[in-house]
Amino acid sequence: MIGIFILCAFALAAIFAPLLTPYDPTAQDLASAFLPPSAAHPFGTDDLGQDILARIMYGGRYTLAIGAVAVSIAAIIGVPFGLISGYAGGATDMVIQRITDILLAFNPFLLALVLVAVFGVGIETVTVAAGIGVIPQFIRLARGQALSLREEVYVEAAVAFGESPPAILGRHVLRNALTPIIVYATLNVGVTVLVAAGLGFLGLGVQPPTPEWGTMLGTARGFIFKASYQMTFPGLAIFLAVLSFNLVGDGLRDAFDPSLRE
Amino acid sequence: MSAFLTYLVRRLVAAGVTLLGVILVMVLLVRALPGDPARIIAGLLATPEQVAQVRLSMGLDEPVPVQYWRYLVNLAHGSLGTSARFGTTVLSEIGHRLPYTIVLAVFGTLFGAVFGIALGVLAATHKGRWIDAFGSMLGVAGISMPVYWLGILLIVLFSVQLKLLPIGGAGSASSLVMPTLTLGVFSMAVVSRMTRSTMLDTLDQDYVRTVRAKGVVEWVAVRHALHNAFIPILTVIGLQFGTLLGGAVLTETVFSWPGIGQLLVQSINNRDFPLVQGIVFVFAAMFIVLNIITDLLYSVVDPRVRLYR
Amino acid sequence: MNSPHSAASRVLLVALSSVLAMGVAGYASGQGSAAMPAPSPDATLTIGIGVDLDTVDPAQQTTTTVQNVIDYGLQTLVAFDTQGKIKPLLATSWSTSQDGMTLTLHLRQGVKFHDGTPFNADAVVYSLDRLISGKIRVPIGAGFKSMKTIEAVNPTTVAIHLKHPDPNLVPNLSTTIASIFSPTSATKDGNSPERIVHPVGTGPYQFTRWNKGSEVVYTRFDGYWGEKPYYKTVDFKIIPEANSREAGLLAGQLDVIMNPPVTDLTSLSNNPAVKVLKAPSDRSVFIAINTAKPPFNNEKVRQALNYAVDKDAIIKNVMFNAVNPMDSAFPSSLSGYCKVGAYPYDPDKAKQLLSEAGVKNVKVTLGSSTGRYIQDIQFAQAISGYLRKVGIDANVRTMDWPSYVSTMQQKDGFDLHVLGWAPGALDGPTQLQMFTSATIPPKGLNTSFFSNPTVDKLASESALNLHDASRSEQLCQIQKEVWRQAPWIFLWSQTLILAYNSKITGVSYLPNEKFETMAAHPR
Repeated sequence: MIGIFILCAFALAAIFAPLLTPYDPTAQDLASAFLPPSAAHPFGTDDLGQDILARIMYGGRYTLAIGAVAVSIAAIIGVPFGLISGYAGGATDMVIQRITDILLAFNPFLLALVLVAVFGVGIETVTVAAGIGVIPQFIRLARGQALSLREEVYVEAAVAFGESPPAILGRHVLRNALTPIIVYATLNVGVTVLVAAGLGFLGLGVQPPTPEWGTMLGTARGFIFKASYQMTFPGLAIFLAVLSFNLVGDGLRDAFDPSLRE
Repeated sequence: MSAFLTYLVRRLVAAGVTLLGVILVMVLLVRALPGDPARIIAGLLATPEQVAQVRLSMGLDEPVPVQYWRYLVNLAHGSLGTSARFGTTVLSEIGHRLPYTIVLAVFGTLFGAVFGIALGVLAATHKGRWIDAFGSMLGVAGISMPVYWLGILLIVLFSVQLKLLPIGGAGSASSLVMPTLTLGVFSMAVVSRMTRSTMLDTLDQDYVRTVRAKGVVEWVAVRHALHNAFIPILTVIGLQFGTLLGGAVLTETVFSWPGIGQLLVQSINNRDFPLVQGIVFVFAAMFIVLNIITDLLYSVVDPRVRLYR
Repeated sequence: MNSPHSAASRVLLVALSSVLAMGVAGYASGQGSAAMPAPSPDATLTIGIGVDLDTVDPAQQTTTTVQNVIDYGLQTLVAFDTQGKIKPLLATSWSTSQDGMTLTLHLRQGVKFHDGTPFNADAVVYSLDRLISGKIRVPIGAGFKSMKTIEAVNPTTVAIHLKHPDPNLVPNLSTTIASIFSPTSATKDGNSPERIVHPVGTGPYQFTRWNKGSEVVYTRFDGYWGEKPYYKTVDFKIIPEANSREAGLLAGQLDVIMNPPVTDLTSLSNNPAVKVLKAPSDRSVFIAINTAKPPFNNEKVRQALNYAVDKDAIIKNVMFNAVNPMDSAFPSSLSGYCKVGAYPYDPDKAKQLLSEAGVKNVKVTLGSSTGRYIQDIQFAQAISGYLRKVGIDANVRTMDWPSYVSTMQQKDGFDLHVLGWAPGALDGPTQLQMFTSATIPPKGLNTSFFSNPTVDKLASESALNLHDASRSEQLCQIQKEVWRQAPWIFLWSQTLILAYNSKITGVSYLPNEKFETMAAHPR
């Protein structure tokens, strides 16, 4: 519940940011740089006099979008492979499993880091890089689902009726596997948000002046003596966003499919 | 015993295949560098001859299969290539830094295991009470915490405000405190969540309930339950150690800790791809080996487990 | 000879600082000249540096901070004094032949390397020959290409035979690249002639150990030929994070730090436990204008950009007075510098020039590095704000350094971009590489693609001119022409900022972005 509440708050703040704050997130005002939190600037201003609250609100757009798109990419790639792997078995399964192992051997952050190093920084690269790291999760999940559903009566019936394997996978297996996939997707949005923000923190993510939370945190880190408040809010925003995705994911899991519990 | 050997060989072969794949991915990625990879690796001030030399020495003008084969042959001779930035062997650069990363990961894992198990046991034995709620909150907060933010918060508190701990570097034992804490909180969270749920499952099993019903001291029941919950917990700890290696990249950067995580970020910033390849390879190899060791430990901890059926 | 590549920069935060424009003499060493105490048997000086060393081989390094560390153990034939003038070091005197084709140097006698090998002409030949042998890579060795052969005339005399007269060779011999090391050491302690990992020289300190990524330790050499320093040990701690260095200084773990966060300069200066030294240096920081792209092929537009930016306000509010404004195309520490003038803040004049050029509502990209130069992304954003006020919609674009460097070398890359440039030998010709047709990418780093026949002609003439006065005149004409043509938005020269414990005295600096602690001792 708390999770949904926080997520809605972030989403609304991101969508209606222009109505909620008078400040442009990239409008700088050097005369009012490094202002501590006040009535005019509830979260203070950064090193360029940009309003931190405005940057957090607008920044939600990037962070939430990156997380959602990255996980969608991972699911769209991972689920079909997982389903095929589980349903087909044999050599196909072997090959897909080995590929999954390779992806798992890089951990998600390491893989994203290397991808960004090769393909350059920027919002698109960061999104894709964050997504690729969690593909194995979806392959494994979908494979497990396909394995167990393969034995179900209605699937066996479909086979008996002569439906083609793609049709069976799409119509029956995927439909029934959808719930755990959604649960996993929710939990993994948190992971991709952390990865993307981590890249930003290292200066290898979304570039300034775009108000991305991880990048803001990376910049604020340079001012911990002069203005330690500056690093409080972007960090808190990342933490709360990830926390709420995890809470919602936990909640969905308990509600729909207790068997998935760790 | 022969069944065990078969199992071990099968695991090792699978691990080998995975590593071959990891290397292939790295070779392909360097190949995919936009523009002229040799130019990028040789650096801004390189003369055309130097660029040509890099291209030749890294075999960048050869087809991918040949490059791949060359990397494997070098690896078989115990070489991971030469660092573009340092001019020394990749292996020696990694050798200088790896011990720091391992120390950090070991301490982080120990911290996570000790506090995670304690917290999980407390939560499970006090299910539904405040300590359980507190533990659950801590658990989900821990896995949601960006390590880099936690690191800076600790620095602001202990170094800037209280001036108790060194802000970075690896100068003394006290400089290990904050990185360990930063790295350990995540594994503590994961381990405590795992411990709680497996403990609850075993506490629920008949024989434990019988023990408890007999009025035997709570501690004995917990010990029983913990013993049974040990394997899943061990798995998580083993996996965590691998995750920590990844988390070490950020933690080492925040705390100027001279491990291979920091070296990786520097190498990426300097486009030192031979070193990037080498470090990623070492991370992957350690992760895979750890997984095997964890699995093997099962049978040591609990002889009833026969992985190698 | 530092290109931007050589700058500190391996670090994400504050890169190397530099330059000067207010006159070197203004600052010099921060203290009066207290008498040097006798060498201490055990005292250690701990110095926090921001750059992680990649090598300790003098010929293969590319970074000022690395040079600074190497200089503690290795010496060169000649050196700069604190005023930027050449002085004798391992060579006591030198002369150039009438035709300019031979440079003869007379060597200091009675000098020994740390390993006991005597310093003589053979050692000089060995070290310098390495730079032109072609057997090793010398990334920033372009200044030595005029050397044809190096000859040991007798044990105390060396003759360098040249391919063509080169007035800049003597200053170049002062750079770390031309350090003289012991020939017998080249095959010991892990060294090979191709790669020096344990440099053995003639300096006051000998290289002791290098823990990669962590520290480099030097120990006083008791057989040193000159005045011995007070500290027995100098420990360079590698701490990439500026805040961490500052914390280490405030906690007393570090005695001297390079480049504390500029945002904290005011609070550090007000702290009685700390001394701050702003060392003018040779690095100019500027916005290169892509003169190959309309409308920037029009000099009026380029001048307008210079009038449009309030540099004084930026220096005060964004740079925290850590830099000195440029008043010429050369920073004032370079040989041949002459003061040209200023582009005062005048938005009306900027608008007028723009309308004369017929420029209205243009959208441009302003590339910025992130953390390579002091406050780079911050001042880039401030400048984009000023440009918007005169109708130029400048959008700041940042990327990681390697991509940045490759983008700025393309004609269709950035419209404007931030860059810094520091000629380590304090020589005009290296600065000229930013303005001549011959050094337009990919041949060089003239990334404003500036090409002007007057400048090209004067530049090639001055390079061979052995007559100091007329060479200075040529260089001055170039500076005036470049200033008028404005291929850059001229910004400032950086400073190397040192902060140190006020219990210590005698910390000083050289005008080429280096610090010096040979005379340091407790107050």
